[in-house]
Amino acid sequence: MSNRVDPTLITELEHFGLKDAHKCYNCGNCTAICPLSTPENPFPRKMVRLIQLGQRDKLLEAPEPWLCYYCGDCSTRCPRGADPGETMMVMRRYLTSLYDWTGFARKFYTSERFEIMAIAIVAVLVGLGLLLFNTGKPNWDHAAINSLWPAEHIEIADLIMGGILSFLLLSNVFRCFRIIMGKMAFKIPLRYYASEAKELLIHTLTQKRFSQCTDRMQWFVHLMIMTGYSSVFLLVVVFIRWFQRDHIEYAIWHPVRLVGYYATFAILYGTTYAIIGRLKKSKAPYKNSHPTDWMFLILLQLTTLTGIFIHFTRLLDWPATTYFLYVIHMMVAVPMLVLEVPFAKWAHLAYRPVVVFLLKVKERYAQETAAPATAEAVVEGAIS
Amino acid sequence: MEKKLAVYICTGCGIGDALDIDQLSNLATSDLSVPICRTHANLCSQEGAQLIRDDMANEGVNSLVIAACSPRVMYDVFNFDGVIMERVNLREQVVWCQPPKEEDTQMMAEDYMRMGVTKATKMDLPEPYKPEEELSRDILVVGGGLTGLTASLEAVKAGFSVVLVEKQAELGGFQKKVAKKVTFPYKDIQDNDIDQLIQSVQQNDKIKVYTGAKVEKLVGGPCVFNLTVAQNGSTFEHRIGAVVQAAGWEPYDPAKLDAKLGYGASPNVITNVQFEEMSLAGSITRPSDQQAVKNVAFLQCAGQRDPNYLPYCSATCCFTALKQAIQIKQQNPGSNVFVFFKEMRTPGQGEDFYRKAQEEGVIFVRSQDPEVLVRGSKIEVQAFDELLGDTVLLGDLDLVVLATGMVPRTAFGEDCRAKEKKEGEPEVEVPQDAILASDILNLQYRQGPELPGLQFGFPDSHFICFPYESRRTGIYPAGPVRRPMGVANSIDDATGAVMKAIQCIELTSRGLAVHPRAGDASYPEFFMQRCTQCKRCTEECPFGAINEDEKGNPLPQPTRCRRCGVCMGACPERIISFKNYSVAMIGDTIKSINVPEEYDEKPRILVLACENDAYPALDMVGLRRMTYNAWVRVLPVRCLGSMNLVWVADTLSKGIDGVLLLGCQHGENYQCHFIKGSELANIRLSKVKETLDRLVLESDRVRFETVAITDYDKLPALLDEYAEKLNEIGPNPYKGY
Ligand code: SF4
Ligand code: SF4
Ligand code: SF4
Ligand code: SF4
Repeated sequence: MSNRVDPTLITELEHFGLKDAHKCYNCGNCTAICPLSTPENPFPRKMVRLIQLGQRDKLLEAPEPWLCYYCGDCSTRCPRGADPGETMMVMRRYLTSLYDWTGFARKFYTSERFEIMAIAIVAVLVGLGLLLFNTGKPNWDHAAINSLWPAEHIEIADLIMGGILSFLLLSNVFRCFRIIMGKMAFKIPLRYYASEAKELLIHTLTQKRFSQCTDRMQWFVHLMIMTGYSSVFLLVVVFIRWFQRDHIEYAIWHPVRLVGYYATFAILYGTTYAIIGRLKKSKAPYKNSHPTDWMFLILLQLTTLTGIFIHFTRLLDWPATTYFLYVIHMMVAVPMLVLEVPFAKWAHLAYRPVVVFLLKVKERYAQETAAPATAEAVVEGAIS
Repeated sequence: MEKKLAVYICTGCGIGDALDIDQLSNLATSDLSVPICRTHANLCSQEGAQLIRDDMANEGVNSLVIAACSPRVMYDVFNFDGVIMERVNLREQVVWCQPPKEEDTQMMAEDYMRMGVTKATKMDLPEPYKPEEELSRDILVVGGGLTGLTASLEAVKAGFSVVLVEKQAELGGFQKKVAKKVTFPYKDIQDNDIDQLIQSVQQNDKIKVYTGAKVEKLVGGPCVFNLTVAQNGSTFEHRIGAVVQAAGWEPYDPAKLDAKLGYGASPNVITNVQFEEMSLAGSITRPSDQQAVKNVAFLQCAGQRDPNYLPYCSATCCFTALKQAIQIKQQNPGSNVFVFFKEMRTPGQGEDFYRKAQEEGVIFVRSQDPEVLVRGSKIEVQAFDELLGDTVLLGDLDLVVLATGMVPRTAFGEDCRAKEKKEGEPEVEVPQDAILASDILNLQYRQGPELPGLQFGFPDSHFICFPYESRRTGIYPAGPVRRPMGVANSIDDATGAVMKAIQCIELTSRGLAVHPRAGDASYPEFFMQRCTQCKRCTEECPFGAINEDEKGNPLPQPTRCRRCGVCMGACPERIISFKNYSVAMIGDTIKSINVPEEYDEKPRILVLACENDAYPALDMVGLRRMTYNAWVRVLPVRCLGSMNLVWVADTLSKGIDGVLLLGCQHGENYQCHFIKGSELANIRLSKVKETLDRLVLESDRVRFETVAITDYDKLPALLDEYAEKLNEIGPNPYKGY
């Protein structure tokens, strides 16, 4: 690994949103205050230092950015206004772009124009697709989406999209795995991975590390958005047959309805909180907003709002409005999924737990392989 | 003058409760035959002082013994013109540090009364020194840099005339060679305004400026200096009152640096001084081909703070590097500037300047040992970054700037000590001052032509305790020649040194001493008929105040004298004395101590205490109501260096059991107000010990200790332990003789 200082790194990171890292004088207050930093993986100061010294290779391999949940404590405490929390965020964007082999993520993050264009193009394609591919026999008497776009068809499209997305995301996750594990990648026996898999699940579902941060509200909001998003994702992709119904035939306690309501509420609550926060710059994590941060919130909220409207127009039985809103809904939801999941903010949904998991695996492996060595040493010491 | 003595005993502050005052005044009037002895419950009140004044007016009293508090307090109340006065310290050094109403306490007070009356009887009223010649009030400023220019203007503002001598052809000194400056409020780099300062000096008709000139000769002393300036082959004479020496500094020679800093290996490795030259000429470019610079590294402490090169911090190079880094960043915001430092020393508001550099995007690397690697036209810096715990390599450098340090102008020139040694001269054990013939002042002093240095060639007195003071009276170093400093401090320094020069002129013209005995009217007088030309006084005077004629006779220069009495202590013939301080006077004072017979088991210890630190420390002991051994009798001396060995003989032959000398720390971090007084006392003492051994008198009876004023809490134990030691040795066999 080269220790060469690359002075261009810091300017390059400015495109990912880096602003104040050069103000850091390395006091370490941020690392001291961070509830998640550990002696083995200290951050964020070290990351800031790596950036200042243009240590590209070391940054690429750093797992630390994924261990930060951006509570913002560090930024609040930094005596220099170097905003280390935001620097960690920048690192996540940067790493996402490095893990992505298509190069798409990089463009997405570094060019606002590209971001908007990409979303617009996908949206138009989805709109066109819906206009071109439908049964051509809409039910104008009653609002019945299935009459135009039957759930089975959507399901097929979903599966195709899911396949492509999974491929992209998984291939990026695999690169992430290679980078984080380095030489250890295929040395650690599988059973270690298996035994730590439970952790992976727990982390993904509860984000329990985040709850260690002092500002638990951030964790809560994050959890709301994440669970809301995931459940609705399951509904529309996996359970579309049960979700996209023309008649409100389930009782109010039916799981599909309950989950639907929960997701709607959770996402609306979370995104509204975050949008207001970002507008008011109410706390450290909301002080700096990268274009992708806005895009993500706006798309998510629009998707939800159009979803709610559709729900009402269906109840009111307004066929034309329902079909129109449906198209809009899809034009927002699909680009969000297609672009955000493998290439942008949503990708952290995969990277974060995976990195936490990989670190656990490494740790466990190191412990178990080191233990006999020390025992030997002890014995040796006792003999000599 | 017919003396009429009067003793005044104050009974306030607990003195009256702890002592038998009647017995004490009885002692004064009967045993000591003082005609008047009065007591007062509050002598320092208006009424008390009036009591004394009335006696002076009505009874013709002209010699006062005031037995009350320490002479270090109430000096403004007990301040009477034209009378001899001795203060007997009954408060701090008797009743506040001894148990009340005890026989030993009373004996102590009585001894102090005896000593005080003896002193007052033996001393004369000093008359201020008034030389024949006319006294000059003009100030000579040597060096026309920022410090010298500021000093000149400050002096004029205070109503003095100035002679300014600058070696270079134009004024401005080093500041003339820099493009931008750093000073308060340290928010950004500032334009250099030295030209305005130069102009105001040149336009001022009270400042006589000599450029391209040097001080060829400086003869005499404060207020009677004769200055000879050499300029273009002609010489000019001036009479001078006092001197501000602002000769400035020279950059450390980069050729002497460690090769691993890369100096000389590539034209693109330059010093901070070369950077200034480039910056003054226009823009910063790559020296090898005048191309734009993109990647720049600054290496701090290039030789400084390294015992092998320049052992001290030069104080300005961190600021300079920040300034230069900001200059580069402002010239080209896309440039990459790295500063490798050991410690970034930007104290006080200077922190804002460091912040400014950071905001400009300068990156700092803390590294103790960076190395410049030059391979052809490629320059790299390799350094262990302490914050990362790893070595980093910074390549593609267009420019490397080494922060070289400041060397005072006084550090150049041959050492005068070496050639002083002449065959056949008696060997002097006195440590000689380090004086380098740096061709700045060319003093015609027997002790050497320049200001003595303390460390690293700086013409230092004690720069914390006595800033601007040098070891040559009336000559005050200021600016980077005194210690490394930048613009802001140099301006302060110039002002401070001028203030000192003015004080010197004011006091000297009234015949009074300057720091540290400011206002003292006494001065040493030599009974020349008995002088043996032993040179002790000229060698030992810490201030070079005694010249010598061709025959080797000492020629005292009273305006150069600080009245320490070191010469008095040094003189084996005992022919040097002050009107109110002499070998005989102190000898008699010692002899006035009452020494009880051996079977009384009341030993006596004489403590000769330096007035500047030890005596106040003893006062502090009283102030804190700590107690110490009751056998102690304290006798203050101007400086331990004024101790004449005959006092030790006087003490021991009187039957006093031990002599303890309490003085200031000497050597490198000396605290002695007279620089080497305590050291000289120690040297003299080592000789007396040999003699004592010969006389079968235990040399342990004589002891030397150094104390700082802050050591007061250690004194009781020290005194008790010494008393214990003397007890072991047993009584002085000379008791009763
Ligand atoms: S608290 Fe701020 S200045 Fe201190 S190390 Fe962290 S980022 Fe740097
Ligand atoms: S934002 Fe919070 S979790 Fe992230 S580095 Fe700062 S303190 Fe740690
Ligand atoms: S000022 Fe800075 S560079 Fe200069 S000697 Fe001191 S610490 Fe070193
Ligand atoms: S030794 Fe002291 S008292 Fe004597 S001449 Fe020198 S400065 Fe004056």
